[in-house]
Amino acid sequence: MESNLVQYVVQDSGILIEAALVFYLVWTSKWKGQGAAAFYLSSLVAGQLTRACFLHEYGLTSLRYYYAYWSTDFLLVMSAFGIVCLFFRRACSREEKMWRLIRLFLVLLLVLVAAISGVSLCLNRHDFFTYFLVAFNQKLYFGCLVLNTLLYLMLHYMNSADDQLELLVCGVGIQFAGPAAALALVHLTYGGWFAKLLAYLTIPLCTFGMLLVWAYVIVYVPKTAGGLGRRDAPLRAVPAELSKL
Amino acid sequence: MVTATFVLVLSAALFFFYIQVTCQKILRRQFDREYFQSIVKANRLEFPSLRKSLEEFGMSDDYPRLRMMLKCDFLALTYLLKNSANVKQRYSSEERLLILYCRWQFLSLAARHLLKFGEEPATLRLASVLQYFANVVGQRVNTVQFGNWTATDFLFYL
Repeated sequence: MESNLVQYVVQDSGILIEAALVFYLVWTSKWKGQGAAAFYLSSLVAGQLTRACFLHEYGLTSLRYYYAYWSTDFLLVMSAFGIVCLFFRRACSREEKMWRLIRLFLVLLLVLVAAISGVSLCLNRHDFFTYFLVAFNQKLYFGCLVLNTLLYLMLHYMNSADDQLELLVCGVGIQFAGPAAALALVHLTYGGWFAKLLAYLTIPLCTFGMLLVWAYVIVYVPKTAGGLGRRDAPLRAVPAELSKL
Repeated sequence: MVTATFVLVLSAALFFFYIQVTCQKILRRQFDREYFQSIVKANRLEFPSLRKSLEEFGMSDDYPRLRMMLKCDFLALTYLLKNSANVKQRYSSEERLLILYCRWQFLSLAARHLLKFGEEPATLRLASVLQYFANVVGQRVNTVQFGNWTATDFLFYL
């Protein structure tokens, strides 16, 4: 009961922070520079609100909630894949050749995950949601974690000056890695109560961690390259007479 | 079973890696000057001398004293972060993250002490977080003016 309460509190605070960040991005017009973050945050808000509505209307054990849960999970995983792609695009903004290669690799990976998950569907055609969607979501989610790590290593290798992007990638890494570990533990313990409890708490807490990092990036870290958070004094305007000298 | 174990180990390792990297990135923030000096002097914090002695003479044998010094500095600085020249009287998101990181490093230090392995890097990491906190407090205090003097000048000449 208490763990459920903690989970709901963390989850609801997460939705509020997500909505606040989206609002902040729109209000300050920062969404133009942070399109990827705005896109992912909006999809998180939409997905979680849809789940909350279905849960409230039909209850936890209803079939409709089950379908709504897995459909929104699919959307969330796809938007997670989308944000990793957008981050790759941002990292390769000056390397068109490399971006073409990476784009091909990303498409191939998506097709491969769909094909492998399709095998499960061929074996069990009667239940699309259980056998295809769940397998697809799990595999793509882990694929996103691996891709995100490759992106981080690439940024490190390229000695990227984009501090914002590095921190955004770290935030996404926290959100992907924690739940992946917790769900693997649940699988290993055959759904043991401790592992389940850990997973129930870890998943919203990791989202919360990502939101804290992103909030820091969006609010404090300037987009230009240079020292993290350093705000150099603006250059003083040079009078016209002096500028002619 | 093998796949799940692989996913568990890799994901857990990546989770801690990302937390570590995020905190290190935040700690690399540049300050326009060394604000921490005045805060250290005014509050008699011990982490700079501790770090200096660590760099010169290596890890001290007196672990309980070292831990107590770091803990006291941590408590003093987190109090100052929340209450000194902070209108909102609450921590910001990166401060919360770094406080969690600091607690994690204290746990890590205790574990490393038990295992007698790699205590020095953990202590240096703790000192760098404390220096960051002192810099943030110093920067905030510096913006508050007392007549012609800033609060940092006032503290420095005490």
